[in-house]
Order: sequence, then C-alpha cells, then structure tokens
Amino acid sequence: MTAAPPVLEMRGIRKAFPGVVALDGVDLTLAAGAVHMLLGENGAGKSTLMKILSGAYAKDAGDIRINGRAVEIRGPRDALALGIRVIYQELNLVPHLSVAENIFLGAAPVRWGGVVDWRALYDRTSHLLTDLGLALDPRALVSRLGLAQRQMVEIAKALTGSSAKGSADKPAAVLVMDEPTSSLTSREVTQLFALIERLAARGVAIVYITHRLDEVFRIGHSITVMRDGRVVATRPIQDVTVPELVRMMANRDLTDHFPKVRVERGAELLRVENVSRGPLSGITFSLHAGEVLGIAGLLGAGRTELARVVAGADRCGHGRLTVRGREVRFRDPADAIAHGIGLLPEDRKAQGLVPGLTVARNIALPHGRRLAWLGMLSRHCETTLANPIAADLRVKATATQTVRQLSGGNQQKVVLGKWLAGDVGIFIFDEPTRGVDVGAKVEIYQLMNRLTARGAGIIMISSELPELLGMSDRILVMYRGRLQAEIAATEATEERVLSAALGLAS
Amino acid sequence: MIVPARQFGTLIGLLALGIVLWILTPHFMTVSNLLNVAEQTSINAIVAVGMTFVILSGGIDLSVGSIVALSGVVLGTLLQAGHSMATALPLALAVGLLCGLGNGALVSWGGLPPFIVTLGTMSIARGAALLFTEGRPVSGFDPSFRMLATGRAGFVPAPVIETTMVYAAAHFVLSRTTFGRYVYAIGGNEEATRLSGVSVRFHKTMVYGVSGLMSAVAAVILTARLNSAQPIAGMMYELDAIAATVIGGTSLMGGDGTLAGTLVGALIMGVLRNGLNLLGVSSFLQQIVIGAVIVVAVLIDTVLKRKNRT
Repeated sequence: MTAAPPVLEMRGIRKAFPGVVALDGVDLTLAAGAVHMLLGENGAGKSTLMKILSGAYAKDAGDIRINGRAVEIRGPRDALALGIRVIYQELNLVPHLSVAENIFLGAAPVRWGGVVDWRALYDRTSHLLTDLGLALDPRALVSRLGLAQRQMVEIAKALTGSSAKGSADKPAAVLVMDEPTSSLTSREVTQLFALIERLAARGVAIVYITHRLDEVFRIGHSITVMRDGRVVATRPIQDVTVPELVRMMANRDLTDHFPKVRVERGAELLRVENVSRGPLSGITFSLHAGEVLGIAGLLGAGRTELARVVAGADRCGHGRLTVRGREVRFRDPADAIAHGIGLLPEDRKAQGLVPGLTVARNIALPHGRRLAWLGMLSRHCETTLANPIAADLRVKATATQTVRQLSGGNQQKVVLGKWLAGDVGIFIFDEPTRGVDVGAKVEIYQLMNRLTARGAGIIMISSELPELLGMSDRILVMYRGRLQAEIAATEATEERVLSAALGLAS
Repeated sequence: MIVPARQFGTLIGLLALGIVLWILTPHFMTVSNLLNVAEQTSINAIVAVGMTFVILSGGIDLSVGSIVALSGVVLGTLLQAGHSMATALPLALAVGLLCGLGNGALVSWGGLPPFIVTLGTMSIARGAALLFTEGRPVSGFDPSFRMLATGRAGFVPAPVIETTMVYAAAHFVLSRTTFGRYVYAIGGNEEATRLSGVSVRFHKTMVYGVSGLMSAVAAVILTARLNSAQPIAGMMYELDAIAATVIGGTSLMGGDGTLAGTLVGALIMGVLRNGLNLLGVSSFLQQIVIGAVIVVAVLIDTVLKRKNRT
C-alpha cells in the first residue's frame, strides 16, 4: 500500500430529519478502481448517505475528502464538478431523443449561432461508446432500447459529465449505482457487470447499492453494511460469508417494546389463492380472525401490489379471493369495503386523506351512504360518527382544523379512524407506522390488539423487522412477487425473515 | 355558519368597489341600478354555479356557453312550434343536462382530460345550435314565458329571485348531501376518495351534469329576457364563469372553495361592468380593466394563501 490518498473519504457523516436520525457518524472510504458494495435493510441510511454525496441533501456534520482534499458539496452542481456521478433506480432519459442526444443533453457540440453540430455529436458519441465497449447505435431512439441498454446510456451519460452544462466538470471519479439490476434479466446483468469491471479497471471508484447477495460476491471488492444509520462493518469481500452478512444486516438490540397481546385464532376470514397480477405470481395464503399476519419483503417485492388487490384498489388478475367462505370479485374498493375490508394505504397523503377536509369529514368519507337519508346528510351526523372515534384514537385536532395541518401521527390515526366506524373486519395496514412518532406508534400497536381481540384479522405490511416480529402472529415473506416463506411468530428471527426477503432459502 | 376569511376578503373587495363607484358616479348607488346589476349578473352567476361544482371537483368546463346556446334554441324552437312551457322547459333542461352528462362520462369513463372533452363539446354544441336553426335566431314568445325574465315580485326582478333559488338549492347540495361532500373530496384527493369506496366516476359524471343543467337554466332566463333564442348566444360565457369562480376564491386545483364566494365573484364582475358603463369607459378599455381585475384578485388570493401556509 502506497501513500496515494483514497478517491473518496467520508468521515463522521451525520444527518437528522425531524424525529429521526438518519445517519449517525457514518464513515465510507473508496479506493480508485474498487467496486464497493453498500448493503443494508430499507431505511438503514444508504440512500441518505448517497444523497449527501450527490449534493441532494446537506449533511449536519462530518467531512468529505476527495483525493485527500477536503471539499464542501453544497448542491448537485458541486458534486458533478468533483466528478461524482449517481445513477438512480428510475432512469432520467428523454425517450424520444436519440442515444447521442441523451448523452450530450444540454451539452451538444454546437457550431457558431448555436446550431447543433450533428456530425460531431454522433462522432463523439460513437467514440465514447466504443471506448466503453458498448454496442449501441448513437442514432437509435432511447424509446426503442431495452432497459439494460437504457441503463448503459445512463452510465455513458454520467461518465461524460454532461448532465449539466459544465463541460468544465471533472471526468467521473466516483460512480454510485442504486440497485441497477432490479429490473434486468440475467443476461443483461452480465453485460452490466462487464461494463462495471471495465470502468473499475480504468480507475473509477464505484459504490454499488444492492439487496442481492449473489451480486455482492460476483463483482464486489469490498463491502460496507449499514444498519439504523450506522456502519456495522466495512471489510474486503474475501473476509465475509453470506450468513455473516445476513447477521450483520439484521442484528440489533431488541429494545423496542411491543405490547403484543395474543388472541386465540378464530375462523378463516380471508383466503387468497393463486393470485397473479403484474409482479405478483401465484400468491396463496389465508387470514384468520384474531390474527395479525405480517408481510415482509424488500422494496419492490410486491407487498403493496398484493395489498391493493385484496383491497379492491386494483383488479385481481388471475386467482381467487374468498371472504368468510364466499368467493368474491372486486371491481373497485367499494366492493371490498362492502365485504368488510379496509385498507390503510402506504402513502397516507396521496392515498389515505383528503387534506383540505376536517378530521370528521375524512373519517366519515367511507360511510356517506350509511349516514345519509336520500343522499342528504343531517347537520351533525358526521361529527356524531367521527368524534367518538377521534377521541378514542386521541387525535389531537380541533373541529375546524383540516387534516393538512396535523402531524404525521395524527394524520395516520385519522386514516385508521376511517375504518373503525364501519363493519370492517379485515384490516390491511401498509406501513402503518411509517413517519409516525414513537408515542403514536405504540398507540397504533395497542389499537391492533383491540381489533384482534374483537375478532378482526389484520394484514400488516412493514419494512421494519422489529415491528413485524413484535406484532405478528405469522409472517409471510415475499421475494420478487412470490411468497418465499411462511414463518410462525414463535420461530421467527430477524435473520430468518431477512434471509427469505433476500431470496435465500429459508 | 362561519364565513371563511378568504370569502370575507372577496366580499370586502366587492364593497370597496361599490363605494368607489358610489363616489365616482351618483347613479350607481340607486335601488333601480343595483337591481339592474343583480339582474344582469344573474345569467353569469347561474352558469358559475355549475362551473364551481366542476372546478371544485378538480375539472374545468369550457362548453357552458355553447350549451346555453343549444338549450336556448331548442327551447325557442319548441315554444314557437306551439308547445307549452310544461313541455318545452323540461326538454330544454334535459338537453343541457345530457350535454353535461356526456362531458362527464367521457372524462370519467373515457379517462380524457376535461379541458379537451369540454373543448370538443364547446364546438359540437355550438355547431348543433347553428345547424338546428340554420344560423337564424328564433324570436317572439308568449308573454307568460317572458315573465320568467321580465316579471317582478314587488320590486325584485324575476331573474334575481331565480338566481337566489338556484344558489340556495346548490348550496344545500354542496353542504348537506353526500354528493356535495364527494365533490370536495374528489377535488381534494381523487385516489383517497376512490379508496374510501366512493364511486368517483359516477359522481364526476354528475358534476358535469350539474354544469350542463345550470347552463340550460341560464339559457331559459336569457331567452326570456331577449325574447329571442340565438345560436350565437353565450359566447365567452365559460370565461366569465371561470372568472367569477376563481375571483370567489375557488382553487383551480380543486377541493377548495364556496358558492358564496362565486356569487360575490359574479357580482364583482357585474358591478365592474355596470360601473364602467356608467362612467362612460369605452368597451375596449373595459375588457382590459376586467382582465386586470381577474388577475389581481387571484394574485391577492394566492399571496394570502401562501402566507397562511407558512
């Protein structure tokens, strides 16, 4: 080892959001030509760290050094000028422009008068593509390309540094890729890996974020595992094994307290058989009265899609739904609600609430038909219905306040309240405690206990393993649209759930 | 009932405008002139009721003016052919309602943008009105029909009474029925409303139906007042109705606004036109002033809203 300083050094990076510390003193060091794998559960802080590197977020504390020199990254432009390039999961290409136009978007070579020099544009592009070993036609429209090829275009674009007008930007020194293979076929993955190896060979330092452990060992040189905003370990790849990695990702102090009350399992409320739709394939399970059925899985495993099918938000493609012994077919959410199924959607602001209406009107929204007489609402019917529920849930709001003005926890209680007023017996909670403060979290868990005690069944989708382990009676683990494992609460450990969620046999 | 601060602000604007005109011209603040203003405002105010429903639901309706013309000529032709009011009025209203429901069905089930659908209907209904009458106005009606516009109860002109009744009914629908609640909910967050089990498509279709029906009601009063049904009637009514609605504080994003605000908005437009006429301002200059007032009113509203948020 010589004295050449690392390409990138991040030291003691700290970042807090209201209510959460996302990063708590994180260190990350990258050597030129190394492919560094970054692992961690959802919410471990990987994305936040990369957003600080790319200038999307400002750090609260810590130092960043590039080639040994301290730098301040105040925005995306600074990051680009320093040779830092990030490729996000969603690609940012203009589909109706050619490969060359996309690569040099905003920085196309021009002749006097601002006329694009097309020949130079195509020449430079084909030069660049050959150099990278990519067999792409510079004139091809991006909309005609497959996903892997688009990804290559995105990488080529990132490497030229032409994403902003800065022709003065340094060539790429650090390339961050966020789960680049999530939608690629295995052959496309091979192509991508070949490209990554060529890039590393010419000295680009690569940060590769992934959930796929096989990839870690295929192309990684070193690895950092993050958990709860801290680095658990940084090691050369030859020094780790798969079980070790899983343990590092999962292991945490189980200090969180869950007030779980177990209830004797009752009759079957819901049966899902062989449901396939979009990413879902052949999902079969059942939910019983008095039970909390946890659903684990990584982002994109199909958990929310499953919730939406069961709640009638999306039509069920193939397969069969049976509610309380009767086969049902939902055309829209109203049908599911009529069968006593209530959905607490993943994104409460976009899907759960009407922000401009009051607490009472939001809670009463699903119950309009029941409250009304010939379509007319009596003056106080909504508050009569909603006030006891809001009081029971301890929603802190005045009668005239709109839900837009409430905190995350109070908003979530309002969405819950919508389903407490009716005859809902099957609750689907998609990330029920996301963005909710600790106090409200415990209240939501207690509410779940009360619901199961009165014979309801709850499907709880969550990305928080402790919550799943603490509150579920059974846990289903999804992986790429399939059920990978079913684990009873008594046998569930974080490692087992996580292994299944990562696609390893359980 | 609590009047939201914003509508209150619009009301203050209306009063301020009245006081300025009172000072500038003695003719303004007379009972006969004020009743005149109210009568002239009635057509736009009624069309704006439908527009308020549509905008509250997050849409827009550009076809209202053409629907006024089409319902008007259907009404006029039926009356002239000797049909009774009991036949002609319901049929004219049905024409407006059906045009609106057609708009709504295309928006809801067809999944088309309201701007495009109602732009198409604007042209289709206008063309139908011209085709139906071969481009000629239909004139001369029975005095009993004309009473709908020229009649008076005491000293109050019939259109003012009719407008009041329309507003009372529409206010009841918006504030005291499930349909009204869903209009706000759909405009505020369509997906959340759908996930709450509300049939968003059905209610959105009805919203455009209300707008078409209101256009037909306006057509009845207009035809009675002019003693003539013209296929070119109602030009630019959509813009006046949109202006009244947004001056009245209804958000073009949907989900936020009141009918009281729209009424005040329509009155501001009416008072302004009337005042400018009394002052002898040329009709060319009037257009500029009215346009400026629309922009300034919405600007004030936006600035105030931004302040309230932060």
